[in-house]
Amino acid sequence: MRWATRSGPHVDRTACAWLIRRFIDPESEFLFVDDPDEVPADATAFDMRGVELSHHGGECSFEAFLHRYELDDPVMWAIARIVHEADLDDGRYDAPEAPGFDVLLRGLSMVRGDDEVLELSAPLYDGLYEYLKRATLLGREPA
Amino acid sequence: MPGGEWVLLAYRLPREPSTPRIALWRRLRQLGAAQLLDGLIGLPADSRTREQFEWLADEVLEAGGEATIWVARPGSAGQERALASRMQAAVAADYREVVEQAGAARSGPTGQRKRALGRLRRELRRIRRRDYFPPPELERAVAAVEALAESVGRAAA
Repeated sequence: MRWATRSGPHVDRTACAWLIRRFIDPESEFLFVDDPDEVPADATAFDMRGVELSHHGGECSFEAFLHRYELDDPVMWAIARIVHEADLDDGRYDAPEAPGFDVLLRGLSMVRGDDEVLELSAPLYDGLYEYLKRATLLGREPA
Repeated sequence: MPGGEWVLLAYRLPREPSTPRIALWRRLRQLGAAQLLDGLIGLPADSRTREQFEWLADEVLEAGGEATIWVARPGSAGQERALASRMQAAVAADYREVVEQAGAARSGPTGQRKRALGRLRRELRRIRRRDYFPPPELERAVAAVEALAESVGRAAA
């Protein structure tokens, strides 16, 4: 399947792309556009104005994916809290990791192209998932 | 001197229900947006402010209102100065509050100082996120929080 989002992906879009590839569509192909009008008819748009898989009711696009695809894994919701605060910084959740993630992704998008940013950020989310999974099982921070 | 670019959000929300209106105000306050008129909000334009306004515009539309986004330049330098100094005065007051609280916390017991330090560091970070024209009070607030951090560090040593 083809998926389209805005160019210059930061934390929300990279997290969504990771979620798509890992949990929805392993064969996913990503396109980057500058205007919603440029989204091809056969592509599913996300994190763009006026689409379902985007910001709604004060939630970020990553949260929209979890709702839409009914991913009720508590570890994914723990990631969602970090992505939400990194993207919106509205104090809805306590996510001390968020400012660090935001800076890392913003910085990465300054020195690498869009496709490469997705490739380089995916292992970060894999690692975050594993860390939070262990933390959830242990009930405390893993070593 | 021509002014910088601003991103403007022109919106109208139904009077009722009040929840979307309150949510919007809260968000605009967090972003440090300046109200130009009733239903017209502005921020210096960059990719982040523009994106945040776009999400807000979508939420206004979803709540049954109207919203459009514009990128504009002020008609005169004076107009921009007036707006910038109004925004600056708002964050300056927030920084002064941090200075005051950091000063008050320094005379407390160690545990209390530590907790105050964490809270004031987060508060300072939040204010800086909505500070587009840093006033002199910024440095004072940073220095006050640093002084509090040193007093906590000394107590721990």
